[in-house]
Amino acid sequence: MGKTLYTPSEKRAGRVIAVVLLAALYVLLFLLDNVLPQNSFTLMLIPVLKKGAIYSLICVSMNLLNGFTGLFSLGQAGFMLIGAYAYAIFSIPKAQHEAVYQYFHGGVIRFSIPEALQSVLGADLGAFLGAVICIIIAGLFAAGFAALIGIPVLRLKSDYLAIATLGFAEIIRAVFQWDGLGVVTNGSNLLRKYTSFSDIRVGSLRFTTVFPFLIATLCILLIVLLINSSYGRAFKAIRDDEIAAEAMGVNLFKHKMLSFVISSFFAGVGGALLAMYQTTIQAAAFKTAMTYEILLIVVIGGIGSISGSCIASFLFIACNEWWLRFLDSGSFLGVSVPFFRDGFRKVVFSVIIMVVVLFFSRGIMGDRELSFAGLIRRLKRKNTAAPAAADETGGDAS
Amino acid sequence: MKKLLALLLALCMVLALCACGSSSGDAAPAADDAAPAEDAAAPADEAAEAPADEAAGTIVIGVYEPLSGDNGAGGKQEVLGMQYANAMTPTVEVNGKVYNVELVISDNESSNDKAVSAATKLVAAGASVVLGSYGSGVSIAGSDTFAEAGIPVIGVTCTNPQVTAGNSHYFRICFLDPFQGTVQANYAHDELGAASVAYCLGQLGNDYDQGLINYFKQAAEALGLEVVTESFPEGNSDFTSYLTNAKNANAEVIFAPTSISYAQLIIEQAAAQGIDIPLTAPDTWDSNVILAAAEGTDLSISVSTFYAEGGDPAFEEGFKAWMNADATALANNGGNDTIAAVSVMGYDAYYVALEAIKNAGSIDPAAVMEALPGTTYTGVSGSIAFDETGDAIRDTAFIKSADTATGEWTFVAEQSVG
Repeated sequence: MGKTLYTPSEKRAGRVIAVVLLAALYVLLFLLDNVLPQNSFTLMLIPVLKKGAIYSLICVSMNLLNGFTGLFSLGQAGFMLIGAYAYAIFSIPKAQHEAVYQYFHGGVIRFSIPEALQSVLGADLGAFLGAVICIIIAGLFAAGFAALIGIPVLRLKSDYLAIATLGFAEIIRAVFQWDGLGVVTNGSNLLRKYTSFSDIRVGSLRFTTVFPFLIATLCILLIVLLINSSYGRAFKAIRDDEIAAEAMGVNLFKHKMLSFVISSFFAGVGGALLAMYQTTIQAAAFKTAMTYEILLIVVIGGIGSISGSCIASFLFIACNEWWLRFLDSGSFLGVSVPFFRDGFRKVVFSVIIMVVVLFFSRGIMGDRELSFAGLIRRLKRKNTAAPAAADETGGDAS
Repeated sequence: MKKLLALLLALCMVLALCACGSSSGDAAPAADDAAPAEDAAAPADEAAEAPADEAAGTIVIGVYEPLSGDNGAGGKQEVLGMQYANAMTPTVEVNGKVYNVELVISDNESSNDKAVSAATKLVAAGASVVLGSYGSGVSIAGSDTFAEAGIPVIGVTCTNPQVTAGNSHYFRICFLDPFQGTVQANYAHDELGAASVAYCLGQLGNDYDQGLINYFKQAAEALGLEVVTESFPEGNSDFTSYLTNAKNANAEVIFAPTSISYAQLIIEQAAAQGIDIPLTAPDTWDSNVILAAAEGTDLSISVSTFYAEGGDPAFEEGFKAWMNADATALANNGGNDTIAAVSVMGYDAYYVALEAIKNAGSIDPAAVMEALPGTTYTGVSGSIAFDETGDAIRDTAFIKSADTATGEWTFVAEQSVG
């Protein structure tokens, strides 16, 4: 638990490195969107990066609750669902309502925020601002609902809280699928044709990969600032010992509620980004399995480590959707392997996860963070520990 | 000890990275082949160096299907038809040059959130045309990725109108939900003798179930029937109360457009409860799994589907022989050699794709897309031509009923909507 203290110059240098690396990352992403040739490598890289960035945000939001406040909540998929639907419902263009709400006579909400802004501000700026506003609305809806259910639920502790939030997430899903609300949620059917990443552009310049990174970075930065503030220290105090925290004057309920609502806000934002990424959204996808997937990433990354969550998100998405796909293809390096069949990928993936959880029982990062200040100090001392250095390069995405 | 572990894990990572390298390496030549093949092939032809029977290159046909998840069983059967077609006709002649056809299969896991990366895999593999998918939800979810890459897609058994509506790259060779819902309502009214009450049971949150029920209801109400609809939540395994409700409502027919896994449970519990109301269902139920569940019961089960056994004996014989020779194929078909209609549709889709490539005279996706609307083909499941939205022009469905004594389908009628 002992926190290393850095001198101001080390801190400053660390910050400069972080900013430079982040800027380099954005330049790279911009090039990836516009300049770099499309081949089989970059084509697969782009969706993995997008989804990785979105999952980073969602996992960090869950980490804020589970890792920093010690509230074991399993409602993440429910809040993402609210965010995704709120985003989609407010950004489907007027002309598409009849087609999207095909069984509900075009639905009742017949306006689109991006479209309204586009008519005033022009296509590019309107789409961008509209998307941002809808994302914020998505977050607010999720946060508002969290505040509502937080009042009864947050009086519960540990396992009971987990079960209660899990139940609420399932209820939310069932309500969204209910035909009676079909004029708003389209019932069991897909929502589509809303503003997606490919609509974010300036002239002919595309920002399809830059945009999710931008939103995710901004949100994660806000969470980091929150954690390092006095509120964050109160969260950690609650996590470590509730009774001691209360004795020190921390208002338990108020802080738990704050953490729950803020975490849900960012889960809603993450859900909205996921909707943009998928270009279609259906309540059926937001099962408890999705919450478990996110929890798994948080555990693998390290409960209580922001950078761990980010690294684990990218690794998880890349393994799940890209690197291991060859295991299903029936051949390896041109040699046909009979047991490389459909589903074998999942077996290997599960084994890898088990190995990671067994040998890194506290996750990849434990509760430490990547720190460039620490890196500088270590380099200065010249007695570098090799394994840590390997991780540093992967972390600049956070 | 800790160093050892770190080393081990690093090795794991390296292995994974190697694997990634190799898989993209595998795909890269295919993609490279696809793009410059036209330019490369032309000079080779001029120089007349290549022997006539040697392939000029490879055409990649992408297969975008669920091989796992809820619809895994149906997706696998659909892929079987394509693989059989590919085994029968592994080459295609385009402008006098013979190309090898390679099927690249991508598993979309029946899940909309995996759709983007699964579709991108096919784009990255350099597919000229894509076939799929079983399930309309994943088809719509993958649609934009293909549209952006300019690759045409031929939907095999995705029946939701939204798949092809409002776009120019998605085509389909099967009939649509409004048609099938109407066919089912007519059949229930005319053949099953339902005169007053019909009961519909679907899964909550499944767009396929709810869509069909919606169209069935419209058509049945127009015929003067009262329609009672109920939905069960995902993962439900006890259907006794729903079946009791159907009985209490004095239903004369139960319309249950559910996926296969629920269908099995519904049949078993209906048999156990001694339900004597006829069950009718759309194309999803046309599966040997249903036959196995229905065997030895007293239920009346009928399905509307794309193909009826005996439609093309030569094809059936060949397909069965091919499946029986390959243990994997047989396992993917559910363990026996009963032909599923989706396999037939997969088979036809492959030939429609080849026909379009021939018509295009090029392996360029854009050319194939342009050629597709004008492509016609007479397949095992009937003649296929596209209307202006890209849907197949089909006006008949086959109705089959399960013979509970022998565990086989018996052909009942060809039902069409006037």
